Amino acid sequence: MAEDTNRSLYYEFVKGLWEENPIFRMLLGMCPTLAVTNSAVNGLAMGLATTFVLTCSSVMVSLVRKIVPSQVRLATFIVIIATFVTIADYFLKAFFPPISKQLGPYVPLIVVNCVILGRAEAFSSKNPISLSVADASGIGIGFTLALVSLGIVREILGNGSIFNISIFGEWFEPWIVMLLPAGAFITLGIMIGIINAFTIKKTGKGVCFGCSIGYKLQEKLVTAESMYLTPEELEAAKAKPEKKEKKKKEG
Amino acid sequence: MDILVIFIAAAIVNNFVLTYFLGICPFIGVSKRVDHAFSLGIATTFVMTMTAIITWLINHFILIKFNLPFLEYVSFIIVIASLVQLVEMFIRKVNPFLYRTLGIFLPLITTNCAVLGLALFAVLRDYSFIGTVVFGLGAGLGFTLAIVIMAGIREELDMADVPLPLQGAGITLITAGLLALSFMGFAGLITA
Amino acid sequence: MNKTVIRMLLVLTSVGVISGGALSGVYKAAFPRIERHRLEELKRAIFVVLPDAKNYKTLEKNELKVYQGIDETGNPVGIAFEAKGNGFQGKISMMVGIDNQFEKLTGMLVLDQIETPGLGAKIAKDKFQSQFKGLSISPEITYVKNKKPEKPNEIQAITAATISSKAVVKILNRQIKEITETFKLN
Repeated sequence: MAEDTNRSLYYEFVKGLWEENPIFRMLLGMCPTLAVTNSAVNGLAMGLATTFVLTCSSVMVSLVRKIVPSQVRLATFIVIIATFVTIADYFLKAFFPPISKQLGPYVPLIVVNCVILGRAEAFSSKNPISLSVADASGIGIGFTLALVSLGIVREILGNGSIFNISIFGEWFEPWIVMLLPAGAFITLGIMIGIINAFTIKKTGKGVCFGCSIGYKLQEKLVTAESMYLTPEELEAAKAKPEKKEKKKKEG
Repeated sequence: MDILVIFIAAAIVNNFVLTYFLGICPFIGVSKRVDHAFSLGIATTFVMTMTAIITWLINHFILIKFNLPFLEYVSFIIVIASLVQLVEMFIRKVNPFLYRTLGIFLPLITTNCAVLGLALFAVLRDYSFIGTVVFGLGAGLGFTLAIVIMAGIREELDMADVPLPLQGAGITLITAGLLALSFMGFAGLITA
Repeated sequence: MNKTVIRMLLVLTSVGVISGGALSGVYKAAFPRIERHRLEELKRAIFVVLPDAKNYKTLEKNELKVYQGIDETGNPVGIAFEAKGNGFQGKISMMVGIDNQFEKLTGMLVLDQIETPGLGAKIAKDKFQSQFKGLSISPEITYVKNKKPEKPNEIQAITAATISSKAVVKILNRQIKEITETFKLN
């Protein structure tokens, strides 16, 4: 039994690094990914802040998972997440003011990072603390790795440096476009393409699938996928969960 | 005059999606049909404008008055979540037809970073009440513009011969990059 | 049914109270530190733009706030003030130093900006900022493009970032005028 828990602890941790990497695999949490990765340091700071919030809120969510009635589950989760984000924000402001200045309003925006609410809803609200921590820290570190690698590519090409250490010297004419929003989109697009080319599995099609208010959406069968369906198909799909609801009421 | 500047800056020059990366999730995931994209955009615009109004009131009459800056994020996100819920209920009651076309998009809006981003930016830039409202409206319409354009391009993209690894997210992101590049042409049209 | 409602309210209220309590604690703990950083930065900026100053005192008039620099012997060496305004992407805020006669700038330091990285953001680089040291402000600051400045009140705009450079000049001129009108008669 103990061995089993250990194995799954290991599994829950490792899966976030690559197999279910939130950025490259699941395409979640795009907004900070693109916004702050114009340098490797920024990516690292953002990744660590997100990992902190993700892990702490997973612990809390897992702790209260049996007490909170399902109707107010999301509200509770959001308040928990927002609390930890505020703590992270004050921590950065107090101890790393230059980094806090660089990241600006993107720190508070961790609140709406789909990855965090997604993990709270999909994992820690259903699992014990130990597993939740493993899952959250794995996903968080995977997120950080992705941010840093994106930051490194953009910093090398856009500024000729890594972690603020110049590597090319004077002759290098930086590609300023890499530091601009356009460069962020294109770099991430190409990186995802390269990763897809080397692995057989395709990246998830529905972006917000299983994320954000995933549970709420699934209840209504409105996932990102269903946006592709025609209204008729949607109606047909909607009919199913209604039956389930009726059953619940009868029960 | 200032109001017009805020509006144009929020809607076009500093488009939320293409320069601040706010609201990328629906931008990449949802928009493949122009009419759906448009409905989502309008619903988001409505929520954004309402959010701008309410968070401004909260910030000025509660947070600043009682010196509670640490409750900013918590209170804003609660406002947004309940607002989305209210809008959903309201539309369902008043206009079931509209609800059928629009309602399904509404839950997606809570975690749209553009909405929270809007509230935070408005506080950061210290806009007046009217300025905040116009900022919300402009940002919302800018978001609508971006996702409608994207949906249009993706409809065409279906016909294109895209290399397999780039299909889906890859080509969408690259397209977004080109779009961002072309929006840079508006830069300098107006200074925010 | 009623039980669930009560439980919902109970859970939400307690979550709210706990979160509010925790945050006010964190805020109380962090605030002095944040405030100290802010003051340190302010002080550093004042000494950068008023190189001769060893100390400063705060002056206030008509809701305008300036910092008067003082040298070792207690003589005023100039006035530093914060200039804020809108740039190309968002707010630019700068610390500006001006001499006792209100004729020349003694320095300029960009405190905050979110201009385009690699282009407009160069306003925060030394190469641009150092142009303001010793710059004449009469009748007002102007900029030239793609050539070396000739007159004492000219600066060279950053290539490919004229709008940001222009914004800086505009903000400075406006604030300098305001400060001069308020404080010069003293």
